[in-house]
Amino acid sequence: MNRVFVLLLCFLSASAFADKKATLGSFDGFVERMGAGTAELGRGNTGSADTAAQPGAYWNPAILGFRTYTAYSLHAEKRDLDRAGGSLGVESRIGSRMGIGGAVLYRSDLAFDVINDDDEKLGTATPYFMMMYVGLGYRISRKDAIGLSFSMSYDNLGISGYYDDVKVEDGYQSPVTFNLGWLREWNENWSSAVVIRNLSFSKNLSATWTRNTSSDNSVSSTEGVRPKVLQIGLGYHSRLLGRPISSWMEALDYQVADTLLAFDPDLHVWTGRVGMEWEAIPGGKIRIGMDDSNYMFGLGYLFKIRIGKRWWPFDVSYALVYEGDAGLWDPLSFGINGRIP
Amino acid sequence: MKFAATSVSVTLMACAALFAADDKLVSNFTFAVGKGPAAGELWVVSRGDAGSGLTLLTLELSATGVHATGMQQEILEKEETPVQDGVFSDVTAEHRRTAGASAGDFGWTLPRFETDSSGNYLSPSGFFSARAINAVDSRELGDPQLSSVDTAYSNAMTHAVSAFAYDSSAKTLWIARGAYGLVRNNFSKGINSSVRSSYVVNKDKLTLDTLSYNYSVKKSVNPAVYGLARHPASGSLWLGTDGGLFEMKTSGLALSRTGVTSLDTGRVTGVWIGGSPVQIIVETSARSGSSTQSHLWRSWNGGAFNEVVFRDTAGKVQKEIYDKADYSVSDVAFLGNRAFLSVQTIEGSLSGLLKLDSVGAVPWENENQWLYGLDAGVVDRNVTVTSVCTFPLTSGVTGIAVSTYGAGVSVSADSGKTWSYILNQASVGSNLSSIRMVPSVIEAGGSALVAYKVSKDSKITIEVFSYDMRRVRKIVKDAPRSASSTRSSVATEDAWDGYDEYGRAAAMGVYYVRVKDNHGHIGWGKVMTLGGGK
Repeated sequence: MNRVFVLLLCFLSASAFADKKATLGSFDGFVERMGAGTAELGRGNTGSADTAAQPGAYWNPAILGFRTYTAYSLHAEKRDLDRAGGSLGVESRIGSRMGIGGAVLYRSDLAFDVINDDDEKLGTATPYFMMMYVGLGYRISRKDAIGLSFSMSYDNLGISGYYDDVKVEDGYQSPVTFNLGWLREWNENWSSAVVIRNLSFSKNLSATWTRNTSSDNSVSSTEGVRPKVLQIGLGYHSRLLGRPISSWMEALDYQVADTLLAFDPDLHVWTGRVGMEWEAIPGGKIRIGMDDSNYMFGLGYLFKIRIGKRWWPFDVSYALVYEGDAGLWDPLSFGINGRIP
Repeated sequence: MKFAATSVSVTLMACAALFAADDKLVSNFTFAVGKGPAAGELWVVSRGDAGSGLTLLTLELSATGVHATGMQQEILEKEETPVQDGVFSDVTAEHRRTAGASAGDFGWTLPRFETDSSGNYLSPSGFFSARAINAVDSRELGDPQLSSVDTAYSNAMTHAVSAFAYDSSAKTLWIARGAYGLVRNNFSKGINSSVRSSYVVNKDKLTLDTLSYNYSVKKSVNPAVYGLARHPASGSLWLGTDGGLFEMKTSGLALSRTGVTSLDTGRVTGVWIGGSPVQIIVETSARSGSSTQSHLWRSWNGGAFNEVVFRDTAGKVQKEIYDKADYSVSDVAFLGNRAFLSVQTIEGSLSGLLKLDSVGAVPWENENQWLYGLDAGVVDRNVTVTSVCTFPLTSGVTGIAVSTYGAGVSVSADSGKTWSYILNQASVGSNLSSIRMVPSVIEAGGSALVAYKVSKDSKITIEVFSYDMRRVRKIVKDAPRSASSTRSSVATEDAWDGYDEYGRAAAMGVYYVRVKDNHGHIGWGKVMTLGGGK
């Protein structure tokens, strides 16, 4: 009964968060918001409180403190409207209490038609947007770890070749920002996490930068602000029909202002994520989740292949995403996680 | 090249234009319109991404309005254009227009500019003569070799071609050249063998002085000529100069003043004559500090000059309507006893048409305003009106055409009551099967038109989403739109300006625009914003 209550609470909480205003889309940071990892995507983009989530440098650098092996993760997806993306992560243990990892997140539009004022198609651009993470986790106790990751973004609009009269800049690199994480495994059932994202070595600790859109100043420059994020995660692990089941909930607060701390609710956007993962058969997992107004379903299967004298584990995942606000189905998300035995 | 005051040296750059039959305007950014070689034909000057050029439109009048049945292009050489770079930024009224005129055998004439040392099109170099498609000539007007020129006229733009007047009986084309006065082209022996003479106004002697080799041009004596028009009945030339308005009779070179102090001493930046009965419209415009004082004057049917009256819908005369808004006139067209003036604010964003009847400016029927633009249907979106002309649309119908900065041309076949819009627009699929954002790259504060088509009357909802499909902006909700074979978009409403629902500039990136109708159709378009502050 208690388990059912907890799961119900998770869903209700996420639903409540999902109803909040959604102007977040006009701010920088969609690459970060869309997450990384197919397994995590299938369960609502939850991963901050899961020591197995990959890439740890992205989800919560404290996860790296729990890493006891060398692992990799690869995720690729194709979403409706020519959107393609994915992530790549590598992480490893260092010593007995530390782990280190890196990740690259990538998003692109594969077919953006550049049309001028005269309604002429000048060509097709492929703008892309990347975020890179390097993280370090340290296990301060058997149950706790803390972590720090550095991140930066690179955007490339890919349109400058279509404009002769304006010297448009294509590439923009953000300053380095840092993220702080803490993860605690309270017992065999509960885990929790706190992640603070997008702090910067600047006034107000805000991740801001000026982007000069054109080198000849013919286009006004633009201020980039990637909101600070407070991400609180909760994990619960139990059994259903004798098989392991886990549920996660994450609450995220985006401070959409270039201030140190803002207490005006209008300057905050709250969203929530919730997800479950049930190992219905040995190695086989079913996942469902919700990220704000997006709904996810996922499958995963862990198998091993013997290469030489070692068995190499491969955890393949699939995710189906329904983007609720837009009404788009995205059935093409695949990923693989593994570790070096 | 030595400039001779009287010469027969006409440098003809034959076929300066590159012919292309693209069946579209050179660009939707149009700056001048003029009567074409035949009825139903209209010249359009454009300057856009592809460069500058002329389009000869062939128009047809049908029950649904005016349609283009043919569009033939002449792309001009990259080094030259009729549209100088300061046409919007220059604060002097005489440089805020692309003056065109029908000039008999010369066809439609336009000023010509080349690039200066900074690469800007601010170097006046002559004029274009558009006689027919594939017969657009570029003609040089060399700089005169003078003893001296007043330092006030040292800027090249002070001798830009700013007006033409054509005398069909004398086979003469007069050209106003600012500080270099007037050029008379007599082409009775053919347009390629014209005899050219140059003059400057001598306001002390009230005559035209021949601009000879040893002449010293002094601003105090030789005011720059900006406006020029020929009276169709008397044949006299009217000269608008920065030293006043002058009339020059057909015989001799003697000048006379109007007797109106403001016009005799004011800075006259434009003169237009036409209509039935004949009316002479004069613009005075002078810069004072950081503002411009402009006035409109008119002589109606041979009467004295008076300031143009602005009356409200109740018939009460209103004061300081024109000069208060710092307007400048870019062109004037006459239709019967009415005059249509294309005007724009010098340091503002207003533009449109003024309509003058026998009394003065005609106000809106229901509102006390005088500018006919977007609300009056002259244009279908918020763009600047750059010129106006009348032309024979059919053998019995005179059309009015308006050029616009970004929306092609508007044409009216019913004296300006209703308008048809002719512009370049790519086809879109029916029932929202394709959505086209025009342009697809904007800054915050710009405007990307959401172009779509529905096959039956619909209620349309348009929303903007971020890459991660968060709703950023709702543009319209259940807005009624008509079925169309071309486009159903309402340009004034169906556009995204790069701002989110709360008025903040959306971050740089790609955004996705969803269009839904009430019949179950959904279409998506894409737009990129470069961001921007607000």
